[in-house]
Amino acid sequence: MQILLVEDDVEAARHVGSGLQEAGYEVQHCADGAAGLAAAQAARFDLLIVDRMLPHVDGLALIGALRQQGVPTPVLVLSALGTVDDRVEGLRAGGDDYLVKPFALAELLARVEALLRRASGDVHHVGVLRVADLELNVLARRVTRGGREIALTAKEFQLLEYLMRRVGQVVTRTMLLESVWNLHFDPQTNLIDVHISRLRQAIDRGFEVPLLHTIRGSGYVIREPGAAP
Amino acid sequence: MSAPRLRSSTARLALLYLCGVVVGVTALLWTVFLLTQRAMDRQVDLVIQTEIESLREDYRGGGLQRLVDVLDQRVDDWGRLGAVYLLLDPQGAQLAGNLSSWPHVLAPQGEWREFDISASEHGREVRHPVRAALVALDGNRLLVGTDLSERRRFMGRLRTTTIWGIALTAALMALTGWWFSRRVAGRVRGVAQACERIISGDLSRRLPLDQSFDEFDQLAGAVNVMLDRIEHQTAAVRATFNSAAHDLRGPLHRIRARLESVLHTVPANDARSSAMEATLADLDRVQQTLAMLLQIAQAEAGGGVAPEPVDLAQLARELCELYAPEARERGIHLAVHALRPALVSGHQQLLAQLCTNLLENAIKYVPGGGHVEIQVRGAERHAQLIVGDDGPGIPDAARETMLLPFRRLERDAARPGSGLGLSLVAAVVRLHHGRLELSDNHPGLRVSCTFPTI
Repeated sequence: MQILLVEDDVEAARHVGSGLQEAGYEVQHCADGAAGLAAAQAARFDLLIVDRMLPHVDGLALIGALRQQGVPTPVLVLSALGTVDDRVEGLRAGGDDYLVKPFALAELLARVEALLRRASGDVHHVGVLRVADLELNVLARRVTRGGREIALTAKEFQLLEYLMRRVGQVVTRTMLLESVWNLHFDPQTNLIDVHISRLRQAIDRGFEVPLLHTIRGSGYVIREPGAAP
Repeated sequence: MSAPRLRSSTARLALLYLCGVVVGVTALLWTVFLLTQRAMDRQVDLVIQTEIESLREDYRGGGLQRLVDVLDQRVDDWGRLGAVYLLLDPQGAQLAGNLSSWPHVLAPQGEWREFDISASEHGREVRHPVRAALVALDGNRLLVGTDLSERRRFMGRLRTTTIWGIALTAALMALTGWWFSRRVAGRVRGVAQACERIISGDLSRRLPLDQSFDEFDQLAGAVNVMLDRIEHQTAAVRATFNSAAHDLRGPLHRIRARLESVLHTVPANDARSSAMEATLADLDRVQQTLAMLLQIAQAEAGGGVAPEPVDLAQLARELCELYAPEARERGIHLAVHALRPALVSGHQQLLAQLCTNLLENAIKYVPGGGHVEIQVRGAERHAQLIVGDDGPGIPDAARETMLLPFRRLERDAARPGSGLGLSLVAAVVRLHHGRLELSDNHPGLRVSCTFPTI
């Protein structure tokens, strides 16, 4: 997987770049907007990571130019501003996701993976989702495990559906807040942990093999038993 | 003019002018009318008196026979000009004149009489008003009068003209006043609308000028210069904020990056590892405070993105659902009463943050076993979002200052918190033209936000 990183903060870029390389991606780095635009036009990448504030060509202008040329590559916008407006502007300009600095590397990796999977169509859009003996019927709004019915609240159902559509993919707290609760800011208390532990109680309790896992320092994942972490 | 238009001071002024001018014009024209009438009456009397003098002269010179001759001649010559004569002898027999009988007079005034005579004109019976004087000449009675029809017609026309004059003046005044007050009201409304947009954060807006260089233009021009300066200053503050955010987040980002990469190489059970994790957690808090500050600055500056319809009731229900497990873990009873939709025009994320800040505060400060309740009430014009708890509350004296940034109660100093939560709530309420009230919930705190609905 080829990723183009356009970031003027060299040290931050090195950190992000090595993190991405460790995760198995190939990374090319450009330190300003003009070089980034040229690179994005010259070669085909699977993903662009673009800082909003760049010398020469602004990050949003860069994305706008690429979108105008019909380049569909998913873009993750990085920003030091982080207000609601700034996020809306970033997405409106053609960004696919938005991350405020400073962020944990794990958050970035989770979002990169989510964007790449989405771009490759690897998100399950079927009506019945299955992970091992856990089954979620989207239309009937029914969840069973090992044939036993599990009662969930509407939000727990939504949470489980989101996780099951991304089997084996780490999902962070902020991703859940954004997608399930439509909140694009961090509440001060860690609410998601409580919701996840209630969901875990519901689907894993009394079963030998747990399916819902917490990844320390990054987020949560639903995994087939025996799948590599 | 309807009642609301009278609320405009220019409309009131125009109405006052209208009344003044109408009264003035009425007095003037009516005086002219009355004076004309009097002058004409006098003229009639003078003509009659002159005629009587001349007839007396004839009587004195030539006796009764001469008078009769003169009268006969006058009746022939002037009969058509409207002169009326009648001479009776002491027995009441007619000696001369063009009246067939002594007129029936209703109200004699001294020697003057007014009565109607009927004459046949073109086969029709027509009544003519007559004014006449009565003279006694040695037992004979002489009546000399004149037909008033022509004069009455003239006075009638004058009266109609006068009344029309008054009515036209009033109509013209009313029209001018209406136009004037509409024009002024229109300009004031334009200014008010522009001000509303400016108040809601659109600092690039200016008051309308119509290049007439009148007082309104001068005032608007002065206000616009003032707005230029305010906009310039606000832009400078915003730019400072943005670059501060950028300049702070850059180093914060690098600190986090370094810590993360070092943490990567340290075994999980090492003491250094927990120190670094604690540092990362502190970094998160710094980051949250910074985010909150920026969000307050943004809300104060107008919110940026265009407002959209937001259902406060749905927002309250969803956030309550989000906080319910957390509240349950702390043993707090969290209840929501938000059944009917309450639509306001606003910024979804900022309103959500307002709600979460209030809920977080309540859940943070209410002890286990306590109650937190969030209510949304929709009225016709206003929607109210109320978060009440039975926790320690805020002392009366401190309520106002709690809305300022970084203000915290001394008793809460040990608890985590930035002291920005309520400031953000206040900024968001202001942005949405709402009203924020902190009050005693007997016991506890009750925060009520009232917003205008769509």
